Amino acid sequence: MTRLSRFRILLALPAVGLIFVFMILPITNMVDMSFRTTGTTGPFGDAYTLGHYNRILGDGYYWGVLLRSLVTAAMVTLLCLIVSYPIAWHLSKARGTKAVVLYACIASPLMTGVLVRNFGWMIIVALNGPLNEVLLAFGIIERPLRLLFTQGLVILALVHVFIPFMVLPINNALRNISPTLTEAAASMGATRLDILRDVILPLSFPGIYPGVILVYVLAVAAYVTPALLGGQMVSYMPTLIISELTGTFQWPLGSAMAIVLSLSSLGVVILFTAMTWKMMERSRA
Amino acid sequence: MTSSATTFANQRSVSFGFALLIVVLYIFLLAPLVAIVGSSFTQSLLIEFPPKGLSLRWYVEFFSRHDLVSGLIMSLRIGMITAIVTTVIAVMAGLAGRTLRGRLSGWFQVGMALPLLVPELLTAVGLLFFLYEIDLGKTVVGLQMGHILMSFPYAYVSISAALRQVPSSLEEASASMGATGWQTFRLVILPLVMPGVAMGAIFAFINSFDLYTISLLLKPLGGNTLPLALFDFLTYEFKPTAAAAATISIVLSLIGVALVQKLVGLQRAF
Repeated sequence: MTRLSRFRILLALPAVGLIFVFMILPITNMVDMSFRTTGTTGPFGDAYTLGHYNRILGDGYYWGVLLRSLVTAAMVTLLCLIVSYPIAWHLSKARGTKAVVLYACIASPLMTGVLVRNFGWMIIVALNGPLNEVLLAFGIIERPLRLLFTQGLVILALVHVFIPFMVLPINNALRNISPTLTEAAASMGATRLDILRDVILPLSFPGIYPGVILVYVLAVAAYVTPALLGGQMVSYMPTLIISELTGTFQWPLGSAMAIVLSLSSLGVVILFTAMTWKMMERSRA
Repeated sequence: MTSSATTFANQRSVSFGFALLIVVLYIFLLAPLVAIVGSSFTQSLLIEFPPKGLSLRWYVEFFSRHDLVSGLIMSLRIGMITAIVTTVIAVMAGLAGRTLRGRLSGWFQVGMALPLLVPELLTAVGLLFFLYEIDLGKTVVGLQMGHILMSFPYAYVSISAALRQVPSSLEEASASMGATGWQTFRLVILPLVMPGVAMGAIFAFINSFDLYTISLLLKPLGGNTLPLALFDFLTYEFKPTAAAAATISIVLSLIGVALVQKLVGLQRAF
């Protein structure tokens, strides 16, 4: 290594310092916090205990909330994949101005804040809102539906939030599939369905995999959407964690909950990776 | 003859069905934004879409609300500082990353993207305690650091991608002609990567402008960012002023999208 490039590597110091000091240290510190006793004068005590983990894992209430968070995120991810695949397929075929317009339609929601987009759904599903008016006009329903503060709306809004995260990697994977492959399959008598199932789907897996992981991990920890659209009736893990931290100042318990939630979602990711390992190998071959 | 005609008809109806599906999906994707922008121009006292009449009264109302305007100013200020700081350190880190090869380079990329890969909630909770311990709890500086951290990967990804496009032979040529490292950077590399750097700054700014969870936990005493102020507003008074505030945020993101298209093209950026 020359003297110049040894100097060059030092340029990474501010970035490495930022991530180490303001992210790795704090998260390590949080693990420590989760074993602290509940404080009497401050938000945490000096002694160590396993009590918070025992409390979370021994209490049916916390299990219920955790399970709801994990299952809801799985439903969001699956629905998001189903909705995003056709969009990605269509986008991957587009060229020129049409492609630019479509990319803009996907990037605009992506670059708009989650809170703002969730607020948009509040307007749409309001009792006198456009969705109810359309459904009434077509005679599909007789009286307006109450959709605000339901779990269904939380799922719908989360699917909407994460569509770009799913569309973009799948689109990139689809763009990398050589058209000669599908032409070859068609010339050998494969139907469109055969080609989709046996050629396109496996080859787009390198895009599906990161999309699914990203959406799942983000959906499990999503806070704004359930807080704004979920109402007071149903708790999700992130809303519970934040109310423990900012409402009752139970820092150790809140930390333990955040760690349990993160480890569970990591577990699901590992499970998913193990289940789809074969598919990934096939797409590489 | 008949069978081929039915296949043809089937294929036609399949592609028509697919086209319809795509239209419905894009309506779904854009509906919340359209509903917000539309209802912000209503004349009535309720948030309504389609709007009743056209007026700018809710924008006037927005700018007369101290809590919302100070939120907007705070978000703009934090976003600008975030954009400047992340861009500078991302350029430096990108230059350092260029010298790494093979596996080390891959790990470096992952390390730089960490704030994006770890859930925001986890980082936010960790930072809440950490800032409290270093006496920066509930301060604007603490919140600013959180925003810089969370937005850094967006700047880094764009900027390092632009830097990777610059062939190292250019640097060698510049050095062989006696240019110092700084001169090579300033006169050769920077002009070539400027679009990518500008895009990184835009992404960092917009990400900071949109952050919610981390801002909620690190909220300084007596200060609100626009998303925090908007959430409170939506909880206590559900009026079209909120739609006006949200429209301002949508307009900013549309400007961002247009700039990215102009700088490097959306297809390359995403």
